[in-house]
Amino acid sequence: MNLRQLAAASLAALSLAVAPALAQKAGGTMVKIVQPEPPSLASYLSTSGPIGLIAPKIYDGLFDYDNDLNMVPALATSVDVSEDGKTVTFKLREGVTWHDGEAFTSEDVQFTVMDVLKVVHPRGPNSFREVTSIDTPDDFTAVFNLANPAPYMLRALSGYESPIVPKHLLEGKDLRSNELVNSPVGTGAFKFVEWRKGQFIRLDKNENYWKEGRPYLDRIVGRIIPDASTRTAAMENGEVHYGAYGAIPNIDAVRLREMPDFGVTTDGYSMINPMALIEFNTRKAPFDNPALRKAISLVVDREFLIENIWFGYGNPAQSALSSNFKAAGLFADGMPNYPAGGDVEAAIAVLDEAGLAPDANGVRAEFTLDLIPYGEDWRRAGEYMKQALQPIGVNVELRYEDVPTWIKRIYSDYDFQMNVNYFYQLPDPVLGVHRHYGTDQIRQGTAFVNSSGYSNPKLDALLSAGAVEPDAEKRSEIYADVQKILAEELPVANIFEMQFLTVYNEKLKDHATSALGAYGPFDGAWLDE
Amino acid sequence: MTFWKLFARNRGAVAGLAILGFIAIMGTTAQLFFPADPFSLAGKSMSPPGENGFLLGSDSLGRDVAAGIAHGAKTSLLIGLLATLVAVLVGVVMGALAGYYGGWIDNLLMRATEMFQTIPSFIFAILLVAIMKPSIESIVIAIAVVSWPAVARLVRGEFLSMRNREFVQACHTIGMSDMRIMLREILPNCLSPVIVIGSLMVATAILIESGLAFLGLGDPNIMSWGFQIGAGRTLLRSAWWVCTFPGIAILITVLAINLVGEGINDALNPRLRERS
Amino acid sequence: MSHASRRIRYVLKRLLQAIPIVLAIVILNFFLLQLAEGDAVDVLAGEAGSATPEYMAELRAKFGLDQPLPVQLAVYLKNVAMLDLGYSFRHEMPVSELIFDRLFATMLLMVSTILLAVGFGVLLGLVAATGLNTWRDTVISVFALITYATPLFWVGLMLIVVFSLNLGWFPTSGMENFAMFYEGWDRVFDIARHMVLPTITLSLFYLALYTRLMRASMLEQAGQDYVTTARAKGVTERRIMFVHVLRNALLPVVTMAGVQVGALIGGSVIVESVFAWPGLGMLAFEALFSRDLNLLLGIFLLSAVLVVAVNLVVDIVYSSLDPRIEVS
Repeated sequence: MNLRQLAAASLAALSLAVAPALAQKAGGTMVKIVQPEPPSLASYLSTSGPIGLIAPKIYDGLFDYDNDLNMVPALATSVDVSEDGKTVTFKLREGVTWHDGEAFTSEDVQFTVMDVLKVVHPRGPNSFREVTSIDTPDDFTAVFNLANPAPYMLRALSGYESPIVPKHLLEGKDLRSNELVNSPVGTGAFKFVEWRKGQFIRLDKNENYWKEGRPYLDRIVGRIIPDASTRTAAMENGEVHYGAYGAIPNIDAVRLREMPDFGVTTDGYSMINPMALIEFNTRKAPFDNPALRKAISLVVDREFLIENIWFGYGNPAQSALSSNFKAAGLFADGMPNYPAGGDVEAAIAVLDEAGLAPDANGVRAEFTLDLIPYGEDWRRAGEYMKQALQPIGVNVELRYEDVPTWIKRIYSDYDFQMNVNYFYQLPDPVLGVHRHYGTDQIRQGTAFVNSSGYSNPKLDALLSAGAVEPDAEKRSEIYADVQKILAEELPVANIFEMQFLTVYNEKLKDHATSALGAYGPFDGAWLDE
Repeated sequence: MTFWKLFARNRGAVAGLAILGFIAIMGTTAQLFFPADPFSLAGKSMSPPGENGFLLGSDSLGRDVAAGIAHGAKTSLLIGLLATLVAVLVGVVMGALAGYYGGWIDNLLMRATEMFQTIPSFIFAILLVAIMKPSIESIVIAIAVVSWPAVARLVRGEFLSMRNREFVQACHTIGMSDMRIMLREILPNCLSPVIVIGSLMVATAILIESGLAFLGLGDPNIMSWGFQIGAGRTLLRSAWWVCTFPGIAILITVLAINLVGEGINDALNPRLRERS
Repeated sequence: MSHASRRIRYVLKRLLQAIPIVLAIVILNFFLLQLAEGDAVDVLAGEAGSATPEYMAELRAKFGLDQPLPVQLAVYLKNVAMLDLGYSFRHEMPVSELIFDRLFATMLLMVSTILLAVGFGVLLGLVAATGLNTWRDTVISVFALITYATPLFWVGLMLIVVFSLNLGWFPTSGMENFAMFYEGWDRVFDIARHMVLPTITLSLFYLALYTRLMRASMLEQAGQDYVTTARAKGVTERRIMFVHVLRNALLPVVTMAGVQVGALIGGSVIVESVFAWPGLGMLAFEALFSRDLNLLLGIFLLSAVLVVAVNLVVDIVYSSLDPRIEVS
């Protein structure tokens, strides 16, 4: 889909969004699990997951996205992209006010993108990198001037990814430390009321919300419950209505799924597109040898991991790109070195061929495996891999450290060999995939970028071309080449396309209407009590 | 009467010793009965006890719970004993010196003890393990570091109240050395609370290890009961056997250790000895 | 000098002595925490998704993490001297505010746990000791041991399953019902209902300790010479037990309770985690793993002050329980 088609789709979606549904009931308090406790509520500073569970209810974006990734108007009513793709004009909604009563204008949009998102947002400099200036001919028009076409930018306009923030409260302030960080003021469906640390975050209905009759709920309370088993119990006891992003462990979700009062869905994660993967440190032994990387990708039984640790939720990875990019025409089928089940013989053959012969004890290689410290599942995955690599003569020592130690080890010190991790591939490879592989993404001290030290000029050229190519067919060819190279070189071996679960009480309705799912605005959610 | 005869009179203590012996033997001979790596994926995952050839069932990866318990016995006992040994040794020395001499020695030692005590112990253990990186050694050190102050204070209190007793005064008058008074006269008299606290401490150490594992700070490369409990806790509602059996193993061990501790207490306590 | 003024002088002296201890704790922990890899900025950057090295350097400068260690320590100590616990950059809030918010929950759980555990412990220990080697003794000992030896989170979770899910008597977690936001007496009642399960779980763990200590201590005292003397004087067994022996047997129990205060602040991490109880333990735990140094040091400092105070009280109680220990 090119830019003009995207813009057209957004207009088509416009008519859908305003059609009122019938049976909704207004009122009630929805309690959702927020886990872990967010560091702040400044979604313009941090893309930390738990912030996303709360902040997008308070801050709107220019657009929302439905489950098919069509653009749905929010603060912008329409978007027009010029023929050359370098001028993007947003028409803004009139009569919108901030929670403190001030009027929302194009100045806020200009300030947000130019002075906030492009400066302090972790992904903003990437999403808006082609934006050189924003003109505000009147209060309700914002014209983005681009240096080059940026097709992916229109994917990054949601209230989660690019929240529009109030200029009158932030201008001239220290963006990282001001009152808004802990008590946000937005234009969204819910107003921030109170955050009692360690307990809850309370949001009340915005009576002046721009969307007529919305939101339905009177209140959203985000509850902080550290222990996974307790979260499940609170859900079973009806104390919470909603838990997303694995708040309820898969094993419990599988159990709750069978009960009449609860539902489980994998909807609402299409913008996130998470991928479990292995990062290899290609700078030093033993993973400077591509054969060993290949052998590991071959021997890991992806289906076993999905079945036994994630209880059936997920799909084996088949390439550097998630198969979710199929719709966009970017996913390439039939890549080598990505068997769904483990292939011990193929792995041994690769090692033999590369001359990695076993020593007297049958050991071909030894190294330490680091594991992402974000929960028990990853430890199980590490324990599985340790066992799975033994038959091919590879000995593994597991290392499990806390978050700061781990981040420093992997992304600052590069003092690791093989690391299990997961990344969001996001709705476009430019946003979520390029960061693993580009030479320009070897940024020591920056978390979640190219940690493997892999650098390939040919690949760099392809990635640069892919980023700006407006023609869908040509873009698809470029990414097919990218995936071919990566399937052979494997600086990163994808394991499986993760499926995050949302577990909800059946009383809660219409909570998964946005592509952003739990990170959505929730103005349409309602309680059937 | 010899110590052993006194000890043997307490049938519970003998039973405890037998259980403890059995567990120790189980730990050391695990290799014979479960020759495979206890981490190995031995078969169908989440098999209930008795099915698919798993005596006590299997966990989510298909690891044999029984093999884990047998292999883990050694680790868990070692952690408990080593940590307690270090803690009691340090605690008794500090407490005895402080309580016996009083004055500036007491002041200095008790301030040091207080310093360690004022730091919330479990958080401190977590901190130490986090800094030293999770491993068996760091867990033992952390447990010992947070455990000794309790012993020191208890021993000090006992020494403090005992040093003015008539029999101690008598020892002074006959010219007994301080060392001798402390070791031979006072220590045996305050040994029983130390043994009570010490025996509970072995158990606490095993429990702290499982607590650390619960919070994700166990050693990922060595099988222990704490590891099994940590790995099985999310399965508690779906596959109860995965963390219940290691939990029972801990329970039985702790029970046995305490019975033995009680037996030693009865046998050592000079007053109980006189009475019977 | 009168007894009262001697006591006041003693208290003042102890408080003065406490200052170097608290100072030592701060310094020890300050350097200990430096040994941990990574810092608050690494965590924030990791959570944020991605951040440039320039951005991180800027944050470090803002947090003062770019200063040499002695300077950081001096700045911290200077602040503490002025009763300022510093600022948590992670939470964008003053540390004192963060701690104060959690103090109520912590105290609530701590005090009710100590009361329950010591109360029942003393009672059970007494019953066991007076019925030495009878079935009562055995049942109590075994009960205490089992409650002690069962992993805390297992007890907690089982209580939730039975009393929340199956019987519906108590809520699973939290300190209040956040869907309702009760006020006044309704709120008090609501908090009390939320307190029941965590308090029971935590007390069960400490109960064994007090029961056994009380039992051992009673037996110890029963064998003392003064008991024989009293008996010879014709004092009734009942009076010997409940006046003389009990009074002395309480000594180690009081010591232990004093010791436990410090442990309870941190020892409740697991219970706080299982029951989502908003106490200082979890706050400290999270502060450690987000390298929120100021916050963690603040919690250590507070617990130090608390323990020093409690120990002082214990020593005073001690001297009134056992007149042979002079307050000097």
